[in-house]
Parts: sequence; C-alpha cells; structure tokens
Amino acid sequence: MYRPFLSLRWLVTRPINLLGVGGVTLGVFAMIVVVSIFSGFLKTVSEHIRSASADIAVQALPSTAQFPALQRALAEDPNVAAAAPRLVHFGMLHEKDHRPPPPPLLGRGSLQGGDTPFLIVLGIDPAREFLTTRLREWLEDVPPDLRVNNLDAPLEQKNGHDAILLGAERMRNEGLKPGDLVVLTSGKLQRSNDGLSNPDPIDHEFVISGAFHTRHIGYDGNNTLVDIAVLQQMLKLPITSVHEIIIKVRDPKTTEDTADRLTRAVRRTLQIEDLEERRGPVARSWRYRNRFFLQSIEWQRELMKIILIVIMVVAAVLMFATLSMMVTEKTSDIGILTAMGGTPRGVMSVFLGCGMAITSIGIALGTLAGCLGSIYLENFRQLVLLWTGLDLFPVKVYNLDRVPYDLDPIWIMQVACTAAIVGIVVSALPAYRAARHDPLVSLRGT
Amino acid sequence: MSTSKRTATGIVDPNSIPVLAAENVRKNYWLGKRAIPVLRGIDLRVYQGEMVALLGASGAGKSTLMHVLGLLDTPTDGQVLYDGKPAHSLSINQRAALRHRHTGFVFQFYHLIPELTALQNVVLARMMQISTLHYWRERRAVRAEAVLILTQFGLGERLSHRPSELSGGERQRVAIARALIAKPRIVLADEPTGNLDSHTADGVMELLFEINQTQQLAFLLVTHNEEIAARCHRMIRLKDGLVVG
Ligand SMILES: Nc1ncnc2c1ncn2[C@@H]1O[C@H](COP(=O)(O)OP(=O)(O)O)[C@@H](O)[C@H]1O
Ligand SMILES: [Mg+2]
Repeated sequence: MYRPFLSLRWLVTRPINLLGVGGVTLGVFAMIVVVSIFSGFLKTVSEHIRSASADIAVQALPSTAQFPALQRALAEDPNVAAAAPRLVHFGMLHEKDHRPPPPPLLGRGSLQGGDTPFLIVLGIDPAREFLTTRLREWLEDVPPDLRVNNLDAPLEQKNGHDAILLGAERMRNEGLKPGDLVVLTSGKLQRSNDGLSNPDPIDHEFVISGAFHTRHIGYDGNNTLVDIAVLQQMLKLPITSVHEIIIKVRDPKTTEDTADRLTRAVRRTLQIEDLEERRGPVARSWRYRNRFFLQSIEWQRELMKIILIVIMVVAAVLMFATLSMMVTEKTSDIGILTAMGGTPRGVMSVFLGCGMAITSIGIALGTLAGCLGSIYLENFRQLVLLWTGLDLFPVKVYNLDRVPYDLDPIWIMQVACTAAIVGIVVSALPAYRAARHDPLVSLRGT
Repeated sequence: MSTSKRTATGIVDPNSIPVLAAENVRKNYWLGKRAIPVLRGIDLRVYQGEMVALLGASGAGKSTLMHVLGLLDTPTDGQVLYDGKPAHSLSINQRAALRHRHTGFVFQFYHLIPELTALQNVVLARMMQISTLHYWRERRAVRAEAVLILTQFGLGERLSHRPSELSGGERQRVAIARALIAKPRIVLADEPTGNLDSHTADGVMELLFEINQTQQLAFLLVTHNEEIAARCHRMIRLKDGLVVG
C-alpha cells in the first residue's frame, strides 16, 4: 500500500514535479493541435480542389483528336456519367485600348492570380459542362453584382460580342463588372510552307458576362472560361477538335480504376498500339492531377511532426531531470523504507509511480487541451482579431472561412501512447537508480 | 536521572527459544582484495521481554552487527535465528517482510520521511505491511491506532506536524511509535539517544524502559551510557569484533 501513497505524497509535496507535468502537457497539446489543424487544412483544401476539378480528365490528346468518336468510346464505360470537351489555350487579358499589365514581380505568387496577366483560356461547352463539373455552383457562388444574367446560358453572345467568364477575385481586384469589354491577346504557331514556325498573333474582344468562384486557390485567378466554339474559331480549328475531355463518374470510389480503363479505351480509339506507353493520351483522376499540391501539404504536416518531436524530447528531458533530482534527494529515505520491509522492487515502483502519475496527468491534460484547442482555435483567432487587430491565421488567403481542424482519434492515440512509452522509459532510469541504491549508505548516517 | 536498578533474574527461561540469536556471525568488509574483519564470530541470544544493552567503543562493529541482525546486511559467515529459525536463508521478499514484522528499528538519526506528518510517518509503517485493499478497509482502525500510540508518547498535539517542525526528542518518539505499530517481537535501537541532549535522552530512555516493561517486548539497545546499560537486564560488550566479558 505504501507505494501509491508515497508516490502521491512525494508528487504533491514537490511543486517542481509540475514542470514535468507541464512539459508532457505541452508536448501532447502541441502534437495534437498542430497536426489536427494541418489535417483540417488538407481536408478542406482537397475539398476545394475537388469542387474545382472534374473527376477524370483525358489529357495529352493528339491534335487530330475528334470529340464525337472519343465521346462514343468513353460513354461505353459503365462508370462514365457524362463527358465534356475542352480546348486549353493561353492568353493575356487587358482592357480595350490599354496595354496588357506588366508581368508580375518576381516572387509574387499566383495564389489568387490577380496580379499576373497570363491566363489559361479554357474553351468549354456550357451545356455539357453543367453535367460534368460544378459549373453551376461556381456561377452561383459569387456576389450578386458579379453574377451572370442567364445561369443556363452563361456564355451567350451579348451585343454581338462573345462572352467570357473571369474569376470573381480577379474581377474585384481589377475593378471589372459584367458588361465590361476586355481584349484577349493570344497567339498561335503557324507552320509555313518552308517548314518554319512563325507566331501568329490573335486579338479577340470579349464582353464579361459574369464571374465564377470554385474556391480552389490558384484556379480562379489563373483560368478564364470562353465558349469552345469561339476558341475553335480564333484558333482556326475544326468544330470537333478537342484538347482535353473531362468526365464525371458514377461511382467516385473506383475513379482511379476507371481512369486506367479510359486511358486504354482512348488509346484504342485513337489506334495507338502501345497501351502502356508513358507518353500519349492519358486519363487522370482529380487526385492524381493535383497530387503535388496535396502531397506538399501532407509533407508539411509530416515535417511538422518531426519538429514537434523536439518538444517531446524537451518534455522528456524535463521529466528526467526532475525525477533524477527527486531520486537524489530521496536516497536518504530509501534506507528507512528498506528497514520497514521495502524491497528494491518496491522502492523502484514508488519512483516509477511518481513518473507514471506525472505522465498520465500530462497526457490527460494535454489531450484535453489539444482537442479543445483545435476546436476553439477559431474563436481564439476572432478574439485576438477583435482585441488587437492581429490576424493569427490569414484564412482568407486559402479560401477558408475559419481555422480548419480534423481530430484524428488514431493520431491522438499514437501521441498518447508515445508519450506514455517515453514517460515509462524516462521514469524507469531514475527509478532503477533508486532501486540499486545501497540502503545501508543512508542508514549509517554521517 | 532516576536509576531504579532492575533485577534481570526471573525473566529468562533458559529452555525457551530466543527471539533473536546470532551464531558465529562474521562480517568482512573488503578493501580491494584485502578482507577487513569487523565481526569475528559473534554469538548472542535475546529472549522475549529482555532488555539487552550492547556496548563497545566507536568502530567496534555495533552498527554492523545490528544491520546483520536486522537482515539489512548479509553476514560473511554464521547464522541469524529468528525464533530459532535461520533468517538469512529466506527469500528476499520473506526477509523484507520479517524486517518489519519481527524486528523494529530505531536509529540515531530518526530517519523520518520529511514530506509526511508525524501521523503519516507512523501510518506508513503499517501500510508497508498490508495491501492497498486491506489498508483501505482498515484505514480508520490503523489511523486510530497510530493516534493512540502517538498520544501515549505525548505527541497528541503534534500529529499533523512535519518532522522539521518537531524537536529531536519528539522525532525520536515518532520513530519509536513507527517501529511499534508494526508489532515487532524485538526492537533494535542503535544509539537512539545519541543525538539528543541528556534531559531529552532521559525521557526517551524512560519511554523505552516503560514499553519493555508493559509490553514484554525485547530490546537490543546500543548505548555508550554505562548507567543506562546497568539498568538493562543484560549487557553485551563488543571489542575487536568479538563479544567480551
Ligand atoms: N561499508 C563499509 N566498508 C568498509 N568498512 C566499513 C563499512 N562500514 C563500516 N565499516 C567499518 O567497520 C567498522 C565497524 O563500524 P560500525 O559497525 O559502524 O561501528 P560502530 O557502530 O560500533 O561504531 C568500522 O571500523 C568501520 O570503519
Ligand atoms: Mg554505530
């Protein structure tokens, strides 16, 4: 009985032990909060990417590709719900009679795309696009003054001008409104008879019909949508030409398998012999197309874990130091405990009990604080913003409404178990030293 | 000091089994490879209810002998018998239990645990003997018992004081109470008054004599004071690791 009693007495009568408790609490807290916010961020951002991306895109089609034939082949797949053609081109956007804005300063990101004049110009077929992507949501999710007039035909001509859709953020930044005229400057390589390639500049005037908003950072600012027929005309391409085919699947769980099947189907249709060739047309899932971006966040999270281990090490050292001090101070009591019938094992378990109590309290407090901290970090941010005007987490940059979090029970368990193991190891060493201590040394007195 | 000399005769029945006995106990310390004999064949017997004084010059090996008798240290040779049974051949756990149940210790330097109150120090001694569950069921009785002993020792007002808040004499009384609550058969007291002024020492000694008389508890008492030794039933003198006289 004396073991838990003494552990507890020694624990509560020595305030320095709070240092160990605090260390473990802080370590566990940080591990849980930081990782849960990164996970939440990853989750939210992938949802954003998801909402901006078609399930599958068939890319790297040859210039001779014809949409109708490919569409028929794709439609045969049981998991294909809808398909839409796209032309992918590029251009610079500027107001009529203005020079295009200068290129962005080095280092200025293209996060919102607002400051780069270079744009990807997507030629889309709105009717098919509605069935394949969330185009309608993109058009609806903008402030009323930027919204298109006719949600069913967003790219219909107005006053003899072809229509163009711009990212909402970009329109705000550049002070554009629906109805404004803009010029798209682009070009095309023209192959002459003697085999030389010459750039052939193209200018086309558009009327802005409205804004779109996908929430995918970097997408809205860098993309602009026009009617596929208009782009075909500009580029002098046939009416069936296609650069990319986007696809909506029925069962999202088998997207990757479906993509593999579609790659083979497309290659067969285009009579490409080698179905496994790395180059050539290929169907990619949205996850694969965005893998570098998603992975970079994941890697940041893993990196963060490594950094957080340092906190754990500090906590462990703190605990080790306080427990070692305690054993050193308490060696004088080991003699009397032995005289009263204590064994080395018993003495060891008293000190081990202290360490375990410190660890358990630390884990319990840290887990609680970590979970509450993750959930209420947004409230904390709001409070700091209100008091000091300081924004701790500029969530707007990432198109978030609040500080995200995703509490993963498995991670919490992993953290708790790691902390417990570290706690056992760190308390075992001083406890072992106590058990090895010769009780007669302290009993002989001076 | 009141020296009402007791007569020892009549207590010891030569046919009874001694509570504690040593047979040819030897103890060597090692200085490198050289053996330094400290105990060189000690024979002694202590019977129930006996108060035996152990005398000897400083460095004679008294403390070493006490540690061997109390199973805190192992003899190089020879045997220690508890109620006639060899004690050193028992397992480590059995020896640990006997240390407390059969033999109580009182040391010169009290060895109270500084974080515990006087009462807790005494209760701890009882806790050492029983399981958590057992203690929990009897916690009131254990507490009452500890309070009773401490009150009898004149510490009724000092129950919740830490050792640092007690005088030397009070600390030694707490230490004695701690030894007694385990209900040992013999108390090994190694210079229990060695650290006290003579007046306080007298009080503590009176307490020990009283306990010996009222509880028929055996004592082996290391002392330098011939007067006290003379009041004991018997004296054992140690010189150069041997019992003399
Ligand atoms: N751990 C040890 N190692 C070596 N010699 C020791 C040790 N402990 C005690 N001694 C020696 O043993 C002798 C007896 O010591 P001790 O039993 O403490 O004597 P006493 O209690 O009679 O004063 C002394 O000479 C002492 O120096
Ligand atoms: Mg001594």
